[in-house]
Amino acid sequence: MATERTDIDNALNRRYEAGFVTDIETEYLPPGLSEDIIRQLSAKKNEPEWMTDWRLKAYRHWLTMPVPHWAKLKISPIDFQSVSYYAAPKARPKSLDEVDPKLLETYEKLGVPLHERAKLAGIAVDAVFDSVSVGTTFRKELAEAGVIFCSMSEAIHNHPDLVRQYLGTVVPVADNYFAALNCAVFSDGSFVFIPKGVRCPMELSTYFRINAMNTGQFERTLIVAEEGSYVSYLEGCTAPQRDENQLHAAVVELVALDDAQIKYSTVQNWYPGDENGVGGIYNFVTKRGDCRGARSKISWTQVETGSAITWKYPSCVLRGDDSTGEFYSVALTHHAQQADTGTKMIHIGKNTKSKIIAKGISAGRGQNSYRGLVKVEKSAEGARNYTQCDSLLIGKKCGAHTFPYIEVKHPSAIVEHEATTSKISDDQLFYCRSRGLGEEDAVSMIVDGFCKQVFKELPMEFAVEAKKLLEVSLEGAVG
Amino acid sequence: MSVPLLASLEQAFAQLPAAALQAAQLGESRRTHLAAALADGLPTARAERWRYTPLRALERRPFVTAAALAEIDPAVLPAGEGPRLVFVNGVFAAAHSRLDGLPAGVELLPLSQALLGADARDLAHLARRFDASDDTFARLNAAFALDGLVLRVAAGTRCEQPVTVVMVGAPTTTDIAVHLRHLVDIGEGASLRLVEHQLSAGAQAHLVNSLCHVHLKPGARLSHLRVQCEDVAATLFTRTEGVLAGAAEYQRADLELGAALSRHELNIALQGNGARLRSNGVLLADGRRHLDTRLGIDHIARDTRCELTWRGLGADRGRAVFHGGILIRAGADGTSAQLSNKNLLLSPHAEIDTQPVLEIHADEVQASHGATVGQLDANALFYLRSRGVGEAQARTLLTLAFCRVALDDLDDDALREQIDALLAARLPEVAA
Repeated sequence: MATERTDIDNALNRRYEAGFVTDIETEYLPPGLSEDIIRQLSAKKNEPEWMTDWRLKAYRHWLTMPVPHWAKLKISPIDFQSVSYYAAPKARPKSLDEVDPKLLETYEKLGVPLHERAKLAGIAVDAVFDSVSVGTTFRKELAEAGVIFCSMSEAIHNHPDLVRQYLGTVVPVADNYFAALNCAVFSDGSFVFIPKGVRCPMELSTYFRINAMNTGQFERTLIVAEEGSYVSYLEGCTAPQRDENQLHAAVVELVALDDAQIKYSTVQNWYPGDENGVGGIYNFVTKRGDCRGARSKISWTQVETGSAITWKYPSCVLRGDDSTGEFYSVALTHHAQQADTGTKMIHIGKNTKSKIIAKGISAGRGQNSYRGLVKVEKSAEGARNYTQCDSLLIGKKCGAHTFPYIEVKHPSAIVEHEATTSKISDDQLFYCRSRGLGEEDAVSMIVDGFCKQVFKELPMEFAVEAKKLLEVSLEGAVG
Repeated sequence: MSVPLLASLEQAFAQLPAAALQAAQLGESRRTHLAAALADGLPTARAERWRYTPLRALERRPFVTAAALAEIDPAVLPAGEGPRLVFVNGVFAAAHSRLDGLPAGVELLPLSQALLGADARDLAHLARRFDASDDTFARLNAAFALDGLVLRVAAGTRCEQPVTVVMVGAPTTTDIAVHLRHLVDIGEGASLRLVEHQLSAGAQAHLVNSLCHVHLKPGARLSHLRVQCEDVAATLFTRTEGVLAGAAEYQRADLELGAALSRHELNIALQGNGARLRSNGVLLADGRRHLDTRLGIDHIARDTRCELTWRGLGADRGRAVFHGGILIRAGADGTSAQLSNKNLLLSPHAEIDTQPVLEIHADEVQASHGATVGQLDANALFYLRSRGVGEAQARTLLTLAFCRVALDDLDDDALREQIDALLAARLPEVAA
């Protein structure tokens, strides 16, 4: 009997599996934001002067910017002075073998194949814990192929020319409020450089983890794919369960030169807050890819199940002729979660193509908005876009919203947008139930079918994880 | 920094006849609205609702108000029988209007008269309607509008003859600003057809700011056609605020064919269970025309329906802007909402901006929208050419078919012919 009871309890407590805290000695900068703090942060990271200046410039600009309010989100005011902008595990590892076992254990719990497991999985991993990167695997193998995959801090030291050439060219310092903040205080992130003609021999992956209390995470990722290269990059994120909101403001920049392809997949599972909307991560992210070269391709795939608030629009600037942008998204909001997410496809080059598949699922009191822009500039002869946005409603109190913007300035462009909203039909449910499926299983199966178009774009391991995440996140949504 | 447009209006307000302003004791409310409008100023492109329609050029132009009734050639007025109300430069033109022999149960008169002879009930009724104002143009309208259409249909009245209202812009030496306020009230179970013409009797660059209130009582039915053929230099701000009670049915078609700048906001609240709205329209943005239509459909009650079919054409240096907002509130279960906005972009200098928006807070709903921007179907063109139809004619035919989808609901043959003629006259040039 006792075992049974535990089983049930375990099942009930399954909600947010990544919600543990790792007790690790951490070094902080005092909370608050000022030029001084930024200089300290930059000094701690031993950064060259140009980097410090860049940060200060961003900070000064940020001070002049108003907090944006256009998204359909209810956000309690953020006190930027109460956040600590730097938190790092004290024991600095020299190599993966020296990494604090507790840390490795954390990633183990999260299922991140950081160490030997990585060898089996064949994925190179960079793990970012609070503010700093704690270890990157498979360096040697990647170096042989000529691929640079390291933390942003290392890149600033070891490849300053590359970083200076590309950093901030896709998302400029003054792009938006949270991007400017990120420029000022970003602590780490991943840097990927795929040289000309190289097909990256394995999938690259980064795991982000916010662990310390009262900290924000501001990572910055830069991926550059030179002519004819290919890379698939995966990103996952988790955080412990806490009662207060924590801020995550990341910037991701992708640059694809002629014939290059970048595939960027995200499974976002930051702590979503509890049933009553207490706690959870504020996830304000700027992601943008620049298809600079002809025939280049950037593909974003995201599964957004976590965060109290998600505010994120992975975009493609289709500058090169015949370049392609893709966006596949599943966003789920349950309980009091809010998401305002979508994409921007800016067609500048000739014969550029873009495709948007966005699936929103709202349950509980969740509010889910798709916001997208498809813009065809005067130069974009033969541009083509197809957009499909579907929303699924589970429950009476949730909301699903669609805000597409379509701006076309070239007469040869073909732009199509379709959106539908409905709930899971009683017929579908009844059919599944009559075949002996429980209600939750039935819902989960229908939701899985609803998301299939997006899941099939994910690398296999991620697809499995994403499916599981959806199931867990939807628990208790029906009935 | 003073804005010439607003400064000129402030001056014009001071010159309006005191008696007319004070009618129905609205003087105080008018002054309050004017002060608020002047304080707010015109919306800038930073305002989300105006992001595609800049008003910078308009802001710099001064306008006066029309002093006396201008003469027009009656030939510009649309043909047709039945009750008719004509306004020339915003002033009621009795000579061109037909108000005798109104069917029983139909009350039709200019607002200027209604305001003077108002009894207590009407007074409250009208004052309430002068209250709604959440943007500068609505406020200006509340301050200035001295005339317009008052149309009331008693419960159970089925009026066979269409009621026509014509707003004519006549040339003057100085550009004028016209403010009109219309009130349409259809009683329980009553039905009526209303045809609204906005046209021009010669070259002019007036500013017309009109606001129309439509109230449909339970089971009422209104078919409303609006044809906008203003002068190529005119500027229009039109706003319709509709409220539909239970099982009421509002069928509407809007043709935006003229003006330099025409902004139309159609806000409909489906307040009663089972209320239905069909709104179709065509935006023909050729020349340097800027047409901006903004729908705000608010589903409040259960089992409400809306079907919105809009077509846009962008030719020459024209710009067609469309916003189709559908809000389904919590509790509006059983709602069905459908929006289709298709656009043809026919020139490298034209632009189409479309934004179909769904906001849904209820789960027992079916909502969908589709928006496209493209060209004429090459296969259809080829087919017509293979049947011996010349290129130009084939393009015109296909463009006409594209636009006519939005007019399918029109059940008046005579009107349909009129509109077909209007389109047929314009399309060959547009499609070429």
